[in-house]
Amino acid sequence: MLDAFSRAVVTADASTSCVSDLSNLKAYIASGNRRLDAVNAIASNASCMVSDAVAGMICENQGLIQAGGNCYPNRRMAACLRDAEIVLRYVTYALLAGDASVLDDRCLNGLKETYAALGVPTTSTVRAVQIMKAQAAAHIADNPSEARAGARLRKMGTPVVEDRCASLVAEASSYFDRVIAALS
Amino acid sequence: MKSVVTTVIASADAAGRFPSTSDLESVQGSIQRAAARLEAAEKLAGNIDAVAREAYDACIKKYPYLNNAGEANSTDTFKAKCHRDIKHYMRLIQYCLVVGGTGPLDEWGIAGGREVYRALNLPTAPYVEALSFARNRGCAPRDMSPQALTEYNALLDYVINSLS
Repeated sequence: MLDAFSRAVVTADASTSCVSDLSNLKAYIASGNRRLDAVNAIASNASCMVSDAVAGMICENQGLIQAGGNCYPNRRMAACLRDAEIVLRYVTYALLAGDASVLDDRCLNGLKETYAALGVPTTSTVRAVQIMKAQAAAHIADNPSEARAGARLRKMGTPVVEDRCASLVAEASSYFDRVIAALS
Repeated sequence: MKSVVTTVIASADAAGRFPSTSDLESVQGSIQRAAARLEAAEKLAGNIDAVAREAYDACIKKYPYLNNAGEANSTDTFKAKCHRDIKHYMRLIQYCLVVGGTGPLDEWGIAGGREVYRALNLPTAPYVEALSFARNRGCAPRDMSPQALTEYNALLDYVINSLS
């Protein structure tokens, strides 16, 4: 498993040279607190995100919870919720590390084959991951609007940075995209 | 590769939980020191040839017998290899400064080092002398800031301890 720092070291070691380009690592450090806040935002809302994503997936495809569906009976629904949480957890690790290796090595490696063997439908899984991607982006940016929330608008925290952690939103989204690419 | 972040992630993963507040605190602690470490890494990367050359010269000066026929520094090839070894240690120290732990030194420098030096019949005392010279050569604020120098010297001490 590598993080952003050890990734730079391993890359430099391949050519037996010093780590010369430190700009990425300096950026990691400069935005360190934002990154930790982003990780905390996902970790604190994880169970809500997971159940909403799976519920959303089922709402769009009711066949999943009818007899013969992949989320029927409860035992398989529970397995589905568990898997969604595992995916989200590894994405969180990757976001903390600033590198996708932990996600690749410990979660995505062989996942597609496992799901194919178990008969888990790829399209539904991808849909749940897409919902979690949107949720994570919303939690990291933390910029709810009247247009989307309507009467239920509830602002948490104050705007600390103008760009709403756009780079971290993009980075987290890239890890979800990696999951989607690995499954499909 | 072991670092604060990977250690935190590995333990969280072993327990199957999301990163906790205390995990994030550990990472935060590492980030706070990182600016000094990266400063030292940057300075070392820019001057690694001169640093390694000075350290190498110092150890040959202290142990001139190495230049005698049949010794480790006798021929041009051997001299180049001795210099390369010192530079190798400095490079691993630079990696450790980047990572923020002793992982690169442990995995690529220290592990098996004793066996290799014994097999090649190399004395470790000159290595210790070269690294000690580098240890005492750095000067704050001439070379880098005091905090950066502390991080750099701590890693040199770590290698010296492993060799002696």
